[in-house]
Order: sequence, then C-alpha cells, then structure tokens
Amino acid sequence: MTRRFLTAEDVRRAAGQEIVVDAETVVTPQALEVARQAGITIRGAAGGYAEPEPDRGPDASRAVTELRQIPEPEGALKGRGLIVTVVGCNRPGVLAEVSAAIAALGGNVNDISQKMVDQYFHMVFVVELAGSSQFGDVKRELEALGCDNDFAVSVMHERVFRFMHRV
Amino acid sequence: MGFTDQEILETVRMVALETLDIRTTTLGISLFDCADPDLESTCEKVYTKIVHHGRRLVEVAQSISDDYGIPIINKRIAVTPISWIAAASGSHDLVPLARALDAAAKEVGVDYIGGFSSYVHKGFTRADDALFASIPQALAETDHVCSSISLGSTKSGLNMDAIARFSQVVLDTAALTADTGGLGCAKLVCFCNVVEDNPFVAGAHIGVGEAETVLNVGVSGPGVVRSALERLGPDADLLAVAETIKRTAFKITRMGELVGREAASRLGTSFGIVDISLAPTPAVGDSVSDILELMGVDRTGAPGTTAALALLTDAVKKGGAMASSSVGGLSGAFIPVSEDQGMIDAVRDGALSLAKLEAMTTVCSVGLDMVAVPGDTSVDVLTGIIADEMAIGMVNNKTTAVRIIPVPGKGPGETVEWGGLLGTAIVQDPGRFGCSIFHARGGRMPAPIQSYRN
Repeated sequence: MTRRFLTAEDVRRAAGQEIVVDAETVVTPQALEVARQAGITIRGAAGGYAEPEPDRGPDASRAVTELRQIPEPEGALKGRGLIVTVVGCNRPGVLAEVSAAIAALGGNVNDISQKMVDQYFHMVFVVELAGSSQFGDVKRELEALGCDNDFAVSVMHERVFRFMHRV
Repeated sequence: MGFTDQEILETVRMVALETLDIRTTTLGISLFDCADPDLESTCEKVYTKIVHHGRRLVEVAQSISDDYGIPIINKRIAVTPISWIAAASGSHDLVPLARALDAAAKEVGVDYIGGFSSYVHKGFTRADDALFASIPQALAETDHVCSSISLGSTKSGLNMDAIARFSQVVLDTAALTADTGGLGCAKLVCFCNVVEDNPFVAGAHIGVGEAETVLNVGVSGPGVVRSALERLGPDADLLAVAETIKRTAFKITRMGELVGREAASRLGTSFGIVDISLAPTPAVGDSVSDILELMGVDRTGAPGTTAALALLTDAVKKGGAMASSSVGGLSGAFIPVSEDQGMIDAVRDGALSLAKLEAMTTVCSVGLDMVAVPGDTSVDVLTGIIADEMAIGMVNNKTTAVRIIPVPGKGPGETVEWGGLLGTAIVQDPGRFGCSIFHARGGRMPAPIQSYRN
C-alpha cells in the first residue's frame, strides 16, 4: 500500500515480523523505535529501509529551470566571478599581499582599480575563480587577511552586483 | 564586467555599514498529508515531515551566505495552519502538535516555526475551537512556535465573536507567560486579509493554494534607505525622496530575489516570493523611525508622520515591484514599536501615542505590531483595539495585523525588556474608556460594499 508515512501506530497494528515499505514512504523515528523494541524489521522492496530524498512536489522542477533564466555574462566569468574590495590605511605592500593571496587561492585577477579618498585607499579586484576553488573558502581566507587599523577585505559574488545594478 | 567603482563600493557599503541583509529565508512545508485520526500519529508525521524537508535549510542558507557574501540572518519554517491538519483527529487539546512543531524546529536549527494557526474570519470549525483553547498553553510551553489567526477580510467582513475570543486568548497567553513580561504574546498575531505566503514571523504560515514546499525570502534594509536619504540631504523635494527610496528598494529586492532563487535551487524546491519589507531591529541605524525623521518629521508620531510613512511604504512597493515579479508577503514598511529604537524613544518622549500609531497603520504594510499595553487592560478594550485595526484593513483592502502584549503587572509608561530582536517596550496607555456593549453584541460585521466586485 502506498503511504506517505509509517507511524508507530502502524507498526503496532502490523501483523508479522516484517514491514515492507514503499520507496517514497517516510518512517517516523517513533515507528523505527517501536519496531526495534518489538523486533520487527522495516525494509524497502530492494533491501533495508533508507529515508528517501525529500519529494518537494510537482512544482519543484521549476526551481532549476527558473534559475537558468538568470542571464550570465557572455563568455566572461561564467558564474565564477568574485568582487574583492579592500579598504584601509595606505602603506606599501597591500596590493601585493592581496593579489598574492588571490593567486594562491586559485583566482585570476581580470580587472583592478584603486583610488585614494582622504588617507584611505579603496581597491577593487574583479576575480575569476578556477573551477576547483570553493567560494566559501576563498572568502574566508581573503577576509582573514585584514586586521584592525590596517585594512579590511570584503568578498562578494559578482552576481550580487549584476543583480543589484543591472536591469 | 562593466561595474563602476561607485557601484561596487555602494553594494559593499550597504552590507558592511548599513546592515543590509536577508532577514529571513523561510521554507514553507505543506502538512496536508499529515492529517490522521489519531493525534499522536499526526504529531509524529508533522515532526517527521518538517525534519525530512527542513533538515538542509540552515546548511543551505549558510552556504549561500558564504558564497555570495550576503548575511542571511534568520532561517525559519512556515507550515499549513495546524487547525486544518488537526481536524481529522477530533482532539480538543492541540498542545501536543505545538510540542511537535517546537521539537522539529529545534532539530533542524531554525529560530521560529510559524503555523500554529487557523482561519476563523467567518466562523469556527471544531478544530479552530480546539486551537484557540490550546494557544495560551502552547505558546507558554514552547520556544519557537508562532501562532497567527485570520479574523476578518474585505471579502467576508469581521468575525466579531472571533475577535472577542482572540482578545481573551491574548490575555490568557500574557498571564501564562507573566514571568517573561507576557512574551508569549510576541509569538501571537491576528490578521485581517491574511497573507498566505508571509515569510516573517509571527504571521508566517502557508495557505491552501501553496505548493508542497516553497522557499520564501524576506529582505530588509531600513539602514540602507536611511543612509540614502542622509546623502540626499534636507533640501531635495518629496519627489526626489520618493525616487531615492524607490531606487534603493529596487536594489535591495534584487538581492532578495537572487538569494531566494539560489536557495530554492539548492534545496530543490520551488521559489515563492520576495517580501521586501523595511523591518527594523533594535540595532542603531536599523530604524524605520529614523527614516521618517530624516524625511522631515520632528519626531515619529508628530503631525506629518502618517503622510511620510505613506510615501515610504508606496515607494518601497514600487521599487520592489520593478525589481521582481515575485514580490509578495507583506512588502512595505513595518512599524514594530519595541523593535525599533527610534520608536521606543518616540514613545518614551511622548511623541508617539497609541492613537497615532493606529493612524500610521492605515498606510504601513502591517499594523499594530509589538505594542505593549498594561497587564490589566480589560478584554473589551483589547477587543476594541483589535476590531479597529481589523476594520482599517477590511475597508481599505489591505492587510492589517495586531500583535499586542498586555504586560502583566505593568502600567502605562513603565518599561519592559524582552531582549534580542524583540527589544524594549514602553507600556502605552489605551485610555480610560472601553466598548463593553459593542464587545458584548458579538456577531459578524458584514463585508463592506467595496468587496462586491464580482
């Protein structure tokens, strides 16, 4: 019988030492416990019971197709772009430090600009990440470069800027 | 790539200095398939389904935060109104279901779960009756569960019996949570023209037309609007003010849309809506009140405040509507008194009265929100306050809500600290007069003439 859930009550009512559940059936933790205590085996048609992947319903397929409609820039960064900004007090070696770190993390600097406002510099790097680099790791490492009274690094995905500033 | 430095630094500044964030990613989960004649089995199914679908929510939100560099503050779950799910069980005590929701919220690591709810804008089912009876205990016992009730709509009018009963539920909840300043009432809200895809608590739940699971996003940024108006200065005319707010709202909403779609895609669920609401927090600068004062009223609550708020709410909606075709939820400006430092100050200084607050709710996107009143407020006064607010929503075809906290043991002018996002409240004076006969009449207030559109 197709059922969405197998509950403790279902297990108590079941006759026999084995319950075979449908591939889509989710067994509640309470049912598993009751079965364990009573020595009843719960299994799928093909073997032991494993919780199925969540079935998000018929509309779920839209999630993927909709995301594809977000226009990615022609050729350029292919969704692997990062914008790194550095703000801080001016001193020799900041540019070298940051760009060396970007290179070490598998990033390629596509564009760079720097300007001074009062005593502070603003540096912007447009970076393309190699396929093997993880955004989260790169962000953590780069943001850890800065420290108080020196400079601060901020790393954001290029898509954020595209979404915010382009119609 | 073609971004100017100015554009890049504007975005970075919004996040780093102006507290721009994704306020909430809320996963809606339909619980229709959890109904069972046995309440215990219903609870099991509800718990299991929420954990089954919600398990990866926090991890996915964190991964997006990491990858995009945008803070995602809260992760929440909204479910089908529990009275619909509990109906099959015939149970009179639904507190076990609140416990199941709470346990599931703890297991998946979300801060709130919304949906201990029912719709009674025309009448009560037996399950609605049981839910009302269970709310005070449910909210007192659980940490994460929020409850919302639909009491009226433009289409159906106001259910005055339900409003009166709800008022009593508010008082009972406050009494049961007296040791925390009536905090249970902060998790309890009623609506006219309820929104069925609201990602913000306490009103979060998903309605009958929603998908199996759906990811909704609430994006906020009072600090960003405030800074933009600061840069605009006091000499610009109101058209320029509206334009500035609109442009800023556009940018904020686009970010919400990006995060919402990405989160939905990573979770493998459908994307619902972006709720672009200026939702203040007690943090300095993250204040809707500050925006109103920058627009030019001396203090929030002074004459001119309602007009300024009308402009703000409208401009936010317009910017949002251009930015996303999926704008939904409440979208506009929230004015939760205890959560906005500027409003707390305005109440303390006598600038913002309860009456002015009610006037402001005619043009904001929600209603009377996080308002503290004395603990000994009578039930007919509470009914009157709620009925007034519901009537505003009914006649104006807009959503209005009331989240009011009668603070046990406190009188007008006294302070209550709820802490965290819920902030600090000054108890407001509802006045000396009530509406006992109006309250006692009961019955239903018919739908207004403007609802007959068919």
